[in-house]
Amino acid sequence: MMQNTFFRAESEVTPANLGEAIQQAIEIEIATIPIYLYTYYSINRVPNQAAVSGMISQKLVSAGYSLQDATATALDVSADLMVYANKAGALIMSVAIEEMLHMALSSNLKQALAGFPELVGKSPSVWPACLPGHEPPFYIDRAKFSLSQLITFMKIESPHPLPDAKLLRAPIPYKTIGQFYDMIIECISTHKLEYRTDTSRYPQLVPGKGYYAQNNIDTIFYDREHKPVFTNSPKSSDLICIADKDSAISAIKIIVDQGEGNTGAQHFGPDYAVDCSKVIPEDYDNPERTELCHFEKFAQVYCEYVSLQAKFDSLGIGVIDISQFFVIDVPKNPSTVNYPNKITAENPINLAAVSNLINAVYTYLFVMVENCYKKQTGSTQYEIFMFGIHKSMIFILNSLCGDIMVSTYKDPIDGKTYYAAPTFEDYPFGLASSPKSQLVALYYLAYPTGNYLEQRVLDLPDVPLQYNGIF
Amino acid sequence: MAHINYSPNLSLCGGPTPGGPAPTGPLAPASTTTPVELHVCMGLNACKGHDRTGANNCAGTGYCATAERHNCQTLNNCRGQGGCGLYGDAEQQMNPGNNECAWQGSCAVPIQAERFSTLGDNVGKSVWLRARKLFEDRMHKANRSYGDAPFKCGPPQNWLISVLGSYDSCGNSGNKSCSFGFDSPKTNAKILCEGGKE
Repeated sequence: MMQNTFFRAESEVTPANLGEAIQQAIEIEIATIPIYLYTYYSINRVPNQAAVSGMISQKLVSAGYSLQDATATALDVSADLMVYANKAGALIMSVAIEEMLHMALSSNLKQALAGFPELVGKSPSVWPACLPGHEPPFYIDRAKFSLSQLITFMKIESPHPLPDAKLLRAPIPYKTIGQFYDMIIECISTHKLEYRTDTSRYPQLVPGKGYYAQNNIDTIFYDREHKPVFTNSPKSSDLICIADKDSAISAIKIIVDQGEGNTGAQHFGPDYAVDCSKVIPEDYDNPERTELCHFEKFAQVYCEYVSLQAKFDSLGIGVIDISQFFVIDVPKNPSTVNYPNKITAENPINLAAVSNLINAVYTYLFVMVENCYKKQTGSTQYEIFMFGIHKSMIFILNSLCGDIMVSTYKDPIDGKTYYAAPTFEDYPFGLASSPKSQLVALYYLAYPTGNYLEQRVLDLPDVPLQYNGIF
Repeated sequence: MAHINYSPNLSLCGGPTPGGPAPTGPLAPASTTTPVELHVCMGLNACKGHDRTGANNCAGTGYCATAERHNCQTLNNCRGQGGCGLYGDAEQQMNPGNNECAWQGSCAVPIQAERFSTLGDNVGKSVWLRARKLFEDRMHKANRSYGDAPFKCGPPQNWLISVLGSYDSCGNSGNKSCSFGFDSPKTNAKILCEGGKE
C-alpha cells in the first residue's frame, strides 16, 4: 500500500500522472476489502435463537411478566435479533463484493489507459490504516462489529466531506472518494487519451464470463418469516471493458454511485450524526431504486441497531447489550505473530500456522487477479478466475476463516482472551519458488496430516508472481 | 520454510502429476462393472439402474446422485456434475446439473429441495425443480419416457441428512430448513414446491 500518498495540496490529475492516480484508486478499493471482511467475520449471522429467547424470557418472568407474555415477548425480540444479525452480515458482504468489483473496474481502467494494474502487496501494511490520499485522514481498524466501526465504514463511503474540521491539516486534494474519481473523470473528459483496446495483448476482466455475480447466498438474509431478502439488485452493475472515454466514465460512475449514491444522497450530520428518519431516492445507486448505496446500507445497519437496542432497553429487564448475542469477541488489528505457534489443549489447531495460510490464500487471490491482466492464451484467464479465484474466495478462504474462529487465545499485547480471527495481512511470497508451492507448504504446516481442504488447495491454478512488471 | 518444486509439465489447474511411465499396449478394463451416467440428484437419472443404489427401475425415478457428493461452488469433477443455486452468475444458475466442464458447477451436490436460486430468471425459485425441468426437456428431445421422482420436489434436507449422515451446502446466511422467527418451514417448502418464489 502506498506509504506516501500521491496527491499533494496542488495536485491535479493530468495525462502525465493518470496512471499513478488510477493505481491509487485501485489501492483505495483494495484497502476497504480486509476491513469489511474482518468485521463481517466477527458477526455470528445465525445466533442461537432458543438461547436468546430463553434468557430474555427468564428475565421477563423475574420482572413480573406472566410466563405466556414473557414467552411471546421473548420470541418477538429474539426473532428481530435473528433477522438483524443476518441482515447486518448480508449488507456488509454485499458491499464487500462490490468493492471487489470496483477493484476490477479500476484495474480495467488502468490496463486500458496507463499500464499494468498492481494488486499484490497493496493491502494496508500498518494498522490502524488510512485510505491512501484521503484528507482529512482518519484511522481505520480491523475491528469487530460495533456502532463505531459502522461510523468508520460510513466515513469511507461518505458522499460529502467529513465534517470534523479539527482533523483538517492542509488544503484538501480530495475529500471523498467520489471527488477523487471526479478528478480522474475530468482528466479523461478533457484530454485526448490513447486507449489500449487490443484485449488480446492487454486483457481486462469483462462481463458475460461469470466473473462477477451481484448476489449470492451470503448477500441475502431472511426476514421474520424466514423469507429470503436480496440486498443487491440482480440488475446491479457488472464489469465493463474499457475501450473509450464513455466506457471509462461509465465504469467510474458505477464505483462512485454504488459507494456514495447519487447527487443529493444523505450523509453525516454534525459530529457524525446519522439521520435515521428515512431513505430518499438519491440514496439508491440505480434508477429502479432497488439497491442502496454503500453509505446508506451502513446507515441502515447503524440505525436498526440503535432501534433494536432501544427495544430491548424498553423491556424493563435492565441493560442488555444486544451485541453479546451475535458479535464474536475478536481483537482489534490482530497480527499473526501474536497468535500461539503451537497446538495446545485449548487449541487443536496451530493458530499462527492457520493464520499464515489464510494470509497466503488472501494474498494469492491478488496474485491470481493480477495474472488475469497478463497476456494469456486460450481460456487461461477464465480458468484462473473461475477455478482459482472463486474457489479460493468462496470455499477455501471462507472455510479457513470458520476454522480459525472457533479457537481462543490470550493476546500478548493486552493479556485478554479473544477469539482468533483472520488477520488479512499480505503474505510475503518469496521469489525462490512459485507462490502456489509456498501456499501448499503453508497448508501442510497448518494441517500436517491433511484435511478436507487438501485436494482443493492442490487443485488451485499455479500462477507466477509478478516482479518489476515481469511474470 | 520448505519449498515444493513443481514440474514445469504440471497443468495450470494443479493437482498431482500423473506418476509412472506412460501405459503401453492394450488397456484391460479395471473391472466388469458397467459405468453409469453421472448426474447430480434424485429424479435426474436418464436410465434404469443409474442412481446411487443402482436399484431404480426407469428414467427419472432414481433416489440419489451418481456424481460425487460435494458442498460448494467449483468443486464438481466434470461436465454435468455440478449443482447450482447459491453462488454463480445468472447463466450458471439456470443450469443445475448442466455445467459444461469441471469446476463450473455453482453449488453443492445433491440438491436439497429447499435450495433456491439467488440470480437469474429462476431467482427465489426451486433449484431442484429447475434441474428436473432440464432433465425432462432432455428426455422429451430424446423421445424417452420417464417416471416420477421419489419426492415430488426433490430430496428434503432432513431426508438427506437421515440417509447420508450429514448434509451441507455452503453459505453463511443460515439453514433454510430450520425453524426461525415466525416461519413455517412446511409452508415455505410447499410454496417452493409449487413453483412459487421464496
